[in-house]
Amino acid sequence: MEDIELKNMWKAYEQKIDEAKILNLQSWAVNIKTFEYLQTHKAQSKLKSLSIFKRWAVVLGILWVVFLAVLAYGNHFLNPYFTISVIILMLFSIIAIAIYIKHILLIQQINYSESIIDVQKKLAELQSSTINGLRILWLQLPFYTTFFWSTKWMMSDIKFWLIAFPITLFFTLLAIWLYKNITLKNVNKKWLKILLGNKEWTSIIKAKEYMNEIEEFKRG
Amino acid sequence: MQQGKDDFLKLISENKGIIIKICNSYCNNKTDREDLAQEIIYTLWKGGKTFNSDFKFSTWMYRVALNVAISFYRVNKKLKNNISLTETDIEIEDKIFDATTSEENLNLLQQKIAALKELDKALIILYFEEKSYKEIAEIIGITETNVATKVSRIKERLKQDITNAKK
Repeated sequence: MEDIELKNMWKAYEQKIDEAKILNLQSWAVNIKTFEYLQTHKAQSKLKSLSIFKRWAVVLGILWVVFLAVLAYGNHFLNPYFTISVIILMLFSIIAIAIYIKHILLIQQINYSESIIDVQKKLAELQSSTINGLRILWLQLPFYTTFFWSTKWMMSDIKFWLIAFPITLFFTLLAIWLYKNITLKNVNKKWLKILLGNKEWTSIIKAKEYMNEIEEFKRG
Repeated sequence: MQQGKDDFLKLISENKGIIIKICNSYCNNKTDREDLAQEIIYTLWKGGKTFNSDFKFSTWMYRVALNVAISFYRVNKKLKNNISLTETDIEIEDKIFDATTSEENLNLLQQKIAALKELDKALIILYFEEKSYKEIAEIIGITETNVATKVSRIKERLKQDITNAKK
């Protein structure tokens, strides 16, 4: 088979499309009605939907931070363990909000009129960067087990050292381990799939594969 | 605003073949194709201000349309993989092709193009659309040498696959 035969096959395709006047009201979206529908913003790009989801997450995150701030302020440092735990949880929530804001800015920077490699790389990076947010958030885990600590409890009750403290220690070690191991390198591991949930995991896997594909494509 | 809309629709109409071919190459069923066409047109309209008049409208349109198609394809990959071959007989083909050798060849070519990786698919569509290597390099974002090497490799693969399928 020659090159010209391949090209002729493609040309025949174009000719058939023209002959059949495919782009008619019934079969294709390219018409005034659809265009007006699009203009009403009923149709949103998937990227825009993602941006809207992240904006809502930021709003909810801010409300959560305000709630934690009220809790911390309301306690007036009566129990420093409670206040410090709440403040640390608040800081992690602020980090999460910052990550989401960064994602929103990344989405805004994606310009489909740039070269295909640049745009697709940004999209894949956006997808895979969710894993970085997740690993940071796991670090807050032990602080959910410390807010009810008190000096009195430590000094007078052996149960603190036998139960409460080991639990916190366990969650601290777990959080550090997760922070170290939730990486793109480990994304194929089964435990990470369970932790991320099937949908998120699939998206990250695809993004990772796609980034590899882009790199391979660039190398030639 | 109305004038802008009319001009936009005129440009879209003049270049409609681009959208059709990209939608056909990246989607196997009517619903997906319509969704993709809508998303491409929406992105083109929204991104109108990013159009640089130094470039040809079609070059800009290829960039936007292929970028949308590739992203769309990724989201719908699972769905696409679940479609059997019989369901891939798209409505357009039913309407426009007679049962001739030409139809068989076209179906075969479309099938083989559909089986390519996303970026390879974009590259070969641009090649078939008679874009120069320079223009393809600009649209895709790789060097001209890389374009030449890849086009040659993909063409060989297509030729081999089509020849084998005909045997």
